[in-house]
Amino acid sequence: MPVPLQNVTLACFGLSYLLAFALELGRLRWPRPSLRFAGLILGAAGLFAHTLFLSIRQPTPATAYGALLALAWVLAIFYLYGSLHHARQAWAIFVLPVILGLLAIAFVAVSTEESPELDLNSGAHIWGAIHGLFLLLAAVGVSVGAVASTMYLIQARRLRKKLLPLGQIKLLSLDRLEAMNRRAVNLAFPLLTVGLLLGGVLLRHYHGFADNWMSVKFLGTVGLWVVFLALTYLRYAATLPGRRLALLTILTSALMLLVLIAGHPFVRGDSP
Amino acid sequence: MNLRAIGCNFRTAAVEMREKLAFDPAKQERAVVDLSSRFGCEVVLLSTCNRVELYVARQSGEQPFDTGLAAEFLGEIHSVPASAVVPLLYEHVDDAAVRHLSRVAASLDSLIVGEGQIAGQMKKAFEFAKKLGATGPMLNALLAHSLRVAKRVRTETTISAGHVSVSSVAVDYVRQVFDTFRDKTILVIGAGKMARLTLKHLEALQPGKILVTNRSPEKAAEVAALCGGQPIPWGQLDDALAKADIALSTTGAGEPIMPKERFDEKVLPHRGTRTLVVLDIAVPRDFDPDIHDGDRVCVFNIDDLARVREQTLGERRKALAPAEAIVTEEVKKFADDWNRRKSGPAIQQLRVEVDRVRAEVLGPLLGKLNGKLTPTDRESIERAFRLFQNKLLHAPIAALQEASKEGESRKLVEAMRTLFGLKG
Repeated sequence: MPVPLQNVTLACFGLSYLLAFALELGRLRWPRPSLRFAGLILGAAGLFAHTLFLSIRQPTPATAYGALLALAWVLAIFYLYGSLHHARQAWAIFVLPVILGLLAIAFVAVSTEESPELDLNSGAHIWGAIHGLFLLLAAVGVSVGAVASTMYLIQARRLRKKLLPLGQIKLLSLDRLEAMNRRAVNLAFPLLTVGLLLGGVLLRHYHGFADNWMSVKFLGTVGLWVVFLALTYLRYAATLPGRRLALLTILTSALMLLVLIAGHPFVRGDSP
Repeated sequence: MNLRAIGCNFRTAAVEMREKLAFDPAKQERAVVDLSSRFGCEVVLLSTCNRVELYVARQSGEQPFDTGLAAEFLGEIHSVPASAVVPLLYEHVDDAAVRHLSRVAASLDSLIVGEGQIAGQMKKAFEFAKKLGATGPMLNALLAHSLRVAKRVRTETTISAGHVSVSSVAVDYVRQVFDTFRDKTILVIGAGKMARLTLKHLEALQPGKILVTNRSPEKAAEVAALCGGQPIPWGQLDDALAKADIALSTTGAGEPIMPKERFDEKVLPHRGTRTLVVLDIAVPRDFDPDIHDGDRVCVFNIDDLARVREQTLGERRKALAPAEAIVTEEVKKFADDWNRRKSGPAIQQLRVEVDRVRAEVLGPLLGKLNGKLTPTDRESIERAFRLFQNKLLHAPIAALQEASKEGESRKLVEAMRTLFGLKG
């Protein structure tokens, strides 16, 4: 493997995403096609470096560091797809900050990269890998739901004030954003359920359920599942208005983030 | 450049006069053919409801086509005295004409700044003239330039942001809530004139179903027949509202037909989480404005729509300065390109001619020295001649290019042709 590729660091793609975000912000002031093009090139370069980094370093998703980088990677694909597919909407303005936030937290977690908390999550174990994959995809669903919810709240605020987006950030329609949120959460819930059940079974068989069920990660994931259940109930049975559902989805994503970084020594106060 | 843009628009001529001076296609054809053959010039005639303009390009040095000639010509075609036409006309010359055309195409000179039709109308007028063989290098280049400016202004500024007709603004609001309409139901309440206009815009969205209700069943049936909708009895208004996604209301009722209490009690509980958009363009209003929450129900009345119209125009006015800067930049670019294009062939001809002379002198010399020179010596001699030629031509070519930038290259080109014996 050539040396330069091995030298790709988190800062490389983090900076690419940051510059792409700066250009997207610039487009709000100067709506020039060249800025959009440059932003997309930088975003694509960031994704390329990000992919290289993950394939060369292979950080395990069992750690907060690995999980956050993997989640940011999937969201970066989502960002590029959305930016190309919805060229008129300010997609990047909402997705890139989430990616940058995840990378920033991962950067803080970097010193403990080599210390996975639970072996059962290890990629070496096939069921552990499946469990990790399900939880990662559930996290992607929640993140997409949170992004859609943020856009929904802004769009609903505009409509409440009876404003049209003249020369401002263009957003998808309220209906589309609600559907996006609904689909993301509906997809994430079964994934989280299966991931959680697999995790419980693995914990019981390999690591002693009695010793580990009190871990922050396990309890947090169970809590997240309960919140998801409540969210589904409120949407379909209690017909809660879209604005409140959007707020709840954002709160759920915050809880998911806590679960992702929970179990990490710095969260528990062990070190770094 | 010998270019004139002469005409009148909504600022200089009242609508009655603009009507008299307007061209239908047959008249336009006659005018373009006549003008181009009579004056031996390139001609384009733009006739819209807000302006009638002639763009005329002649060879440099020929007598320019001016306002007097234009007034006579327009008067003759429309049987109006030229003296009545002259005061209405404005005239833009050369760079100012390029600038004017760019501003017109970019809709900076329109009655409603930023409207999107004028660039298309201009393109049509140019293509019309081109088909009749009335355009040439100047006006063809000018059209491409003007359309490029219009595109830049449209994409790099907010000059064409939003809509300014009440019906279009209403649809803009609807689009903020929904973007697919095949599964949506539109409920039309009342049968006002405004409703029919707005309904036309909504119909273009291809909604799944249109319901029409009115106190008069006959009127409901009439409107339903016009839009392919389904008439429903006035007594089922609450049920229909519970089913609808978009309600368009324009009754002539003296007081609100849907107070908040009635809506909260009879409609909202039956709607689930679906959002309802109410376009209340009745005066006085049909829906209690307190129903609006921007989430489950969005009520937009005529004042909201008019306010957005003003806001849109304000936003467009803000974009005027950057748009004018783009026009200025592009006009300069066009003038530079045009002048360069004019002196380009002369420079090329000069180079070819001097190349020919060099070969004529160098060929016999190298022939005479054949066998006495090494390949390196031969190459050195050829390089020296080429260098001499380049140094000799550098000053005249630079002077010509500099004069081209200023638009004053014609005399220099003529002098160069005479001095170097080039064919004109």
